[in-house]
Amino acid sequence: MPILTIDGVAYEYEGRAKLLQLCLNLGIELPHFCYHPAMSIPANCRQCLVEIGQPVVDRETRKPKVDESGNPVIQFFPKLMTSCSVDVTDGMVVRTHRSSELVDRAQEDNLEFLLINHPLDCPICDQAGHCPLQIQAYKYGPEGSRFEFRKVHKPKRIQLGPRVMLDAERCINCTRCTRFTDEISRSHQLSIIERGVRNYPMTPPGVVFDEPYSMNVIDICPVGALTSIDFRFQARVWECSQTPSITITNAKGSNCYYWVRDNLILNVTPRQNDQVNGYWLPDEDRQGYTVFNYDRPKGPTIDGRLASWDGAQARAAELLAGAAGEEMLFIGSAYATVEDNFLLGRLAAALGAGAPVYIPHVEEGAGDDWLVTDDKTPNAEGCRRLGIMPVDESVVRARVRSGGVKLLYVLEEDPVAAGLLTSDDLRDAVVILHHYHDTNQTLPQARVAFPAAMVVETIGTYVSQDGHAQRVRPAKAIRGINRTLAMEMNRSRQDQHGTPFDRWHNEENQVDCRPSWDILPGIATRLGHELAYRGPRYVMQELARTNPAFEGATYQAMRMRGVRLADIGAEV
Amino acid sequence: MEASNGSAASRAGDWRKYERVLLPPIRDLHRLDVYEQHGGYRSLRSVLTSGDWTPASVTDAVKASGLRGRGGAGFVTGMKWSFMPPPEPGKARYLCCNGDESEPGTFKDRQLMEYNPHLILEGMLIASFAMSITTAYLYVRGEFADWIVHMERQLEKLYEKGYVGDNILGSDFSCDIVIHKGAGAYICGEETSLMESLEGKRAYPRAKPPFPAQHGCWGMPTTINNVETLACAPLIVERGAEWFAGMGAEKHPGPVLYGISGHINRPGVYEYPTGMLIKDLIYEVAGGMRGGKKLKALVPGGASVPVLRADMIDGVTMDSDSLRKAGSMMGTAGMLVLDEDTDMVSFLRRITHFYHHETCGQCTPCREGTGWIENLVTRIDEGEGNLRDLDILLELCDQMEGRTVCALADAAAWPVRNTINRFRDEFEAKCKPAVHATGPYAMAE
Repeated sequence: MPILTIDGVAYEYEGRAKLLQLCLNLGIELPHFCYHPAMSIPANCRQCLVEIGQPVVDRETRKPKVDESGNPVIQFFPKLMTSCSVDVTDGMVVRTHRSSELVDRAQEDNLEFLLINHPLDCPICDQAGHCPLQIQAYKYGPEGSRFEFRKVHKPKRIQLGPRVMLDAERCINCTRCTRFTDEISRSHQLSIIERGVRNYPMTPPGVVFDEPYSMNVIDICPVGALTSIDFRFQARVWECSQTPSITITNAKGSNCYYWVRDNLILNVTPRQNDQVNGYWLPDEDRQGYTVFNYDRPKGPTIDGRLASWDGAQARAAELLAGAAGEEMLFIGSAYATVEDNFLLGRLAAALGAGAPVYIPHVEEGAGDDWLVTDDKTPNAEGCRRLGIMPVDESVVRARVRSGGVKLLYVLEEDPVAAGLLTSDDLRDAVVILHHYHDTNQTLPQARVAFPAAMVVETIGTYVSQDGHAQRVRPAKAIRGINRTLAMEMNRSRQDQHGTPFDRWHNEENQVDCRPSWDILPGIATRLGHELAYRGPRYVMQELARTNPAFEGATYQAMRMRGVRLADIGAEV
Repeated sequence: MEASNGSAASRAGDWRKYERVLLPPIRDLHRLDVYEQHGGYRSLRSVLTSGDWTPASVTDAVKASGLRGRGGAGFVTGMKWSFMPPPEPGKARYLCCNGDESEPGTFKDRQLMEYNPHLILEGMLIASFAMSITTAYLYVRGEFADWIVHMERQLEKLYEKGYVGDNILGSDFSCDIVIHKGAGAYICGEETSLMESLEGKRAYPRAKPPFPAQHGCWGMPTTINNVETLACAPLIVERGAEWFAGMGAEKHPGPVLYGISGHINRPGVYEYPTGMLIKDLIYEVAGGMRGGKKLKALVPGGASVPVLRADMIDGVTMDSDSLRKAGSMMGTAGMLVLDEDTDMVSFLRRITHFYHHETCGQCTPCREGTGWIENLVTRIDEGEGNLRDLDILLELCDQMEGRTVCALADAAAWPVRNTINRFRDEFEAKCKPAVHATGPYAMAE
């Protein structure tokens, strides 16, 4: 295998690679700004300069030249080279700042240049704490400043579009944002204008930066030049914990991080998943986080009055015992996890009711070819694989209106808001509801209502429309104690309930809700049926074993980035 | 200062008897009929129809002539032409004639465009034939608006008469020429930046490799040559490679346009062989120092090249070897002559302002460094500078040079480093006197 020597250590490598990417893969940090693995390589920031040498080949014999000790003669390029753009070749010798004083000086010099006109905005800049310029200046930059002139001033806090704010002074002209709009989203809405040190990114005249993927430039911007108008000044990043999870705005299952401080979701950023969303998120996925924080229910209710969990589960069991299976209709949810839906189906079967159905939420033409789908639910595919099929609206309405449904069990859905049934339709039926928000339109008709945990509060599996099964981890604490959730949160967040700097522990922001996979067994037991699983992990283990559509889809297989069910042999 | 007697160390031969070929003294030569009357397009005709030439033989002749690029870098032209890959059917190939003359102190290409534009166009066609190129662009800086209009009119006439277009002069060779206007950026004179500008994009230079011959305009094989370089091609065809190689300095031969400006009696463009003694050019050709003043400094090849003090030009000739040994470069042969009253600090300030204004801003060292350098030199020029600023300036030159995508940063660094080093006393004299601390912070005696 070809060999590359970096700072005196030999590394074998495979295939073709750019030197910088190879070093990053090997865990060898080289400072850089403009390089991004998903985009073209402009090599304009000049931060990644290293010394590179190649073995000399004798022009006549075509053989490598060797010196007296038998070592290959290495000829170093006369100038420092940008590691981001250089192809690695067999026998290449590289000196980074670790073994070359020249390179060390070059790192420092380049950062000095970047800092001379950069405004001293750190105290008010959102990027602080996760700013590559801050971090690299701290690690590799000069001690203090010897620049004694007026910094170049440019437009500050300009709204480029509805969601992205520009501070032109902070920009280091890495061109990541313009390359994103040219190469990735292809909206061509950003370009650099002006010349020289007056450069900054801007939209063409008459154009607003409103493309549906505009907020991605916020993540790739290595400084605080492009920030989120929504998240601006909301929180410092070191006060927030980040939990790896997925977005649920649509059926793509794009991977994300939920940022939490004081148990409120404050921001959503992309998480890399080469099989699903690459490095990107659509803006609509990021904007939906307020649903996790506001209008949440106060607790379980019986006939509209707050009750205890025990009391509510007992009452629900009573009501279920009072109806015959054929008179029950179970409605599952493409918003709920596979585990929730599965247990609902088990309960329905145990009670002799038909298999649950789910309400599709598909907006024809709303999707694009990329990360936005027509289907606005995260788990329709999961439902179908469980045998939970889209509801036949006319059949169900007929059944309900003719009095054929005495009890309606609704899991994490809102049939009234969805237009499936009206409040009138439900007046004579018993409705048991798991709901997310107290604005749920079916809630007024519910005899018993349980606040259900949302994706940020639960552990569970979602299957995207591409058949990618992914499982989520809790980012937001619920009010009660659930050992499974608590243990998982310890692992998925920096410490038990937030970073050491998340000094707020406000119980008000903890919703008194539970995952449906926790609520349903409580009811089932009271009816004499056991839905006992030690946790959602074990639900998936059983499913993986018994349901061919989920074969192999264990938490172990899904890990952090999910698994493509077709790849592991699950049948559709 | 006396002039030399024309022999001694001069490499230009008997230059007093030199007959001009790039800018011959023919009235109205810019008109096609006059150009034709004086043998114009005869070289092209010979190349295309006589059967004596092939593309390879034209390139060989240019190689044998020893012609080196006249745009500033001085790269051997024949070698550059031979970098083009063999033609592939269906794959475009381009020639770019670089008429974006923006180097301060350089105004020779403009003379060619005004007085002998057909020599340029004929040179472009011959070069295109040599490299099997079918589309040639003439990129002219937008400020040369009048000459662009004139050349476009002449180009129309060339199309009408079959000198350009399909089956030129009845041969198998077809070639189009397109004149493209620049829009006011020095950086567009950089070959990769020129290509970006031609493609309608922001004129940021490209990283090399890949080189234009492999990946040029629109990714296709491309050669870029200066106006004056291509103007030599018809002359080489007509008079032979040996004629060219035998004229002027041995390793840097041929006729060259010296653009002499500054504190001399007769500034202008003068055509002579390479290898002229600098002293001859100043005192004989350009009429000597204005007002009888003494020479203080000379920048031999456009503002980017290192300045030479008057005591450094003895026996130095205008060719790349001699100038390199003397501590400078040939560049564009645009000579800036400065007399004893010149304030070198003020002179450097104007040059640093130029680079700050012209940096494209793509890469960090140049974008930030040129402005900082201008700030420092300005402060010194205004009497507010510190001695420490000189050290910082020299360090900044090291921090910029060799670290950027293109050579503009190098071109910005060389004048700063060399003017300060070679005129250090003047710079120190303009700085504020060093202040020594007293009291507890004073250094021990």
